[in-house]
Amino acid sequence: MVASDASGGEAATGRRAEEMMSVVHAQAAPGATRQGNGGGAIVAGRGISKYFGQRCVLREVDFEVTPGEMLVVMGKSGSGKSTLLRVIAGLAQPETGELDISGLTVIKDGKHLDGWATQRRLVGMVFQQYTLWPHMSVYKNLALGPRRVLRQPESEIRSRAEAALDEVGLRDRMHSRPSELSGGQRQRVAIARALMMQPRVMLCDEITSALDPPIASGVLNILTNLARNDGIACVIVTHDMAFASKAADRVMFVEDGQILEQEEPSLAFSNPSSAGLREFVDALKVK
Amino acid sequence: MGGLLAYQFDWSIIPPIFPSLLQGLELTLEITVVTIAVSMVVAVPLALARMATVTIIRWPAQLYIEIFRGTPLLVQLIWVYYALPVVLGINLPAFIAVVIALSANLTAFMAEAYRAGFQAVPKEHLEAAQVVGLRRVDQIRFVTVPQALRQQIPVILSLNISLFKDSSLVSTLGVADLTYKGNIESSLLFRPMEIYTTIAAIYFIIAFPATLITSAIERRMLAGQEGQTPNRPRGARSLMLKLLPTHLLFGGFGG
Ligand SMILES: Nc1ncnc2c1ncn2[C@@H]1O[C@H](COP(=O)(O)OP(=O)(O)OP(=O)(O)O)[C@@H](O)[C@H]1O
Ligand SMILES: [Mg+2]
Repeated sequence: MVASDASGGEAATGRRAEEMMSVVHAQAAPGATRQGNGGGAIVAGRGISKYFGQRCVLREVDFEVTPGEMLVVMGKSGSGKSTLLRVIAGLAQPETGELDISGLTVIKDGKHLDGWATQRRLVGMVFQQYTLWPHMSVYKNLALGPRRVLRQPESEIRSRAEAALDEVGLRDRMHSRPSELSGGQRQRVAIARALMMQPRVMLCDEITSALDPPIASGVLNILTNLARNDGIACVIVTHDMAFASKAADRVMFVEDGQILEQEEPSLAFSNPSSAGLREFVDALKVK
Repeated sequence: MGGLLAYQFDWSIIPPIFPSLLQGLELTLEITVVTIAVSMVVAVPLALARMATVTIIRWPAQLYIEIFRGTPLLVQLIWVYYALPVVLGINLPAFIAVVIALSANLTAFMAEAYRAGFQAVPKEHLEAAQVVGLRRVDQIRFVTVPQALRQQIPVILSLNISLFKDSSLVSTLGVADLTYKGNIESSLLFRPMEIYTTIAAIYFIIAFPATLITSAIERRMLAGQEGQTPNRPRGARSLMLKLLPTHLLFGGFGG
C-alpha cells in the first residue's frame, strides 16, 4: 500500500498521455457514426445553433479543437462564449448542428446519439465561481467522479489524486476543505478534479476573472503545461490579452453568436483583419 | 389577587409519580424520534416533486404541502386517528396512527425547508457534477442533499423542536405520552399546578439546549459563509455538525 502510493504519483503522470490515447479508441461506442471529415480534431462542431426562446445565441457556428492546442476564446459580454462552451460540455442542448467528440458524432440536430455518455467524459470543465463542492474535502472532490462514474478502485483513485494535485502544485492540500483554500488554489483543485476524469479537452470559462493577475497567470500556466506536456486541448475564455498573445496557439473571437475569426494571436492583436475585430481589440487595450 | 400566592404548593407529591412521568417522556421521545426520522427521509422526494417542472408531479406535491401547512395539527391528528381506519379498513394502534399524522405534517414543513436548501445550492455545483458525468441520483445524493441539509440545519432543528413540543397533542387521543401521564396523575391527585409545572420543566430541559445549539449554528453560519473566507478554522463547527442527530441521520449522504 505504502510502496505503491510512493511510486503511484509519478507513474500515473507518465502514464496519462498513453492511457488517454487508449481511452479514446476504446470508447468508440457501437451505433455512433464515425466522422470522416475533421479527422484530427478532438472536438468539432458543424452548423451549431442555440436558441433561448426566440433569441438566437449561437448562429450555425463551425469550429474545431485539435488535440493539445491552446485555444483562447474572446468576445464581448453576451456574445455567446459561455454558451459555446456549455454546448461542448453538454450543459446546453443545441437546436441544430452536429457535435463530434474524438471523431464520433454525439449530438445531431438537437439529439444525443449513442456514445454520448462515454464521449462527454473526455471533456472537462472549470467554472468561474462556486467551482468546488464546499462540503467535501479536496480529496473527496477529486474522488467522487472516479468512484461513482469510472468505478475505479480506491487505491487507484488515491494515487491518481496525488498525481493530479502534483500537477497543480497542491499535493499537500489533499485533506483541506475548499473554505480553507484561496481563490487561486480552488481553481487549481477544480482543474485537478477535471483531470481525474482523464479528459482530452479542458473547457475553462473565465476561471481567472476573480483572481489577482499574478495568481491568475499561475493558474493559466498550469493549463499551458497540460496542453504542452499532456496533449490536453484547452479552450479558455478569458479577457487576458497578455496571456492570449503569449500562450495561445489560436484565438477565436465570438461576436453576436458567430465566430468572427480564428487566427494566430500575434496576427489577431497586431493586425486585426476586420473592422469588428479591430474595434474589439482596441476596447480590450483600453481596459 | 392573592390566588397564586395563597396556593400551597406541595412538591412532595412529585417524586412518587416521577417514574410514571418518565415513562410518558419515553413515549414522547419515541414518537418524536420516529417522526423526525420518517419525515427527514420522505421530505426529500416530496421536495423534489414540489420542484419538478412536470405539472402532474409538482401539483400533487404542492397540494399535499399546502393542506398540511394550512390546517391545524390537532385536526390532522384526529382526522388520521379516526379516518384512516375507515379508509384503510384496518385498525391501527394509536401509536402508529399518531406517528403517521405527525410525520405527514412534519414532512410537509420539512419539504419546504429542503426546497429552500436545494434552491440555495449554486447551479455551478450541479453543473460540475454533470460534467463529471454523475448520474442524476448521485448528483442529488452527493451534491444537493448534503449542502441543502447543512444550509437548512437551523430551520430543520427548529422544526424538530416544535414537533417535540407539539407531540403533546397526542395525549388528546389517549396516547400515553408525557402530557397524558400528567393529565392522569393530576386527575388522581388534584395537584395540577405541581404536576404541569414539572411537565413543563421536563419539556423545557430537553427543548432549550436544542434551541441554544440551533442559535449557535445560525450565528456561525452568518459569521462565515462557507467558501467565502479562506483559512477559517473549522474544528468547532464541523464537530458540532457531527454531533447533531439530524446530521447523523443523513450520515450516508455525506459522501
Ligand atoms: N439560460 C439562459 N436563458 C436565457 N438566455 C440566456 C441563458 N444563458 C445565456 N443567455 C443569453 O445568451 C446570450 C449569450 O450568453 P453567454 O453567457 O453565452 O455570453 P458570454 O459571451 O459568455 O458573456 P459574458 O462575457 O458576459 O460571460 C446572452 O444574451 C444571454 O443573455
Ligand atoms: Mg460567459
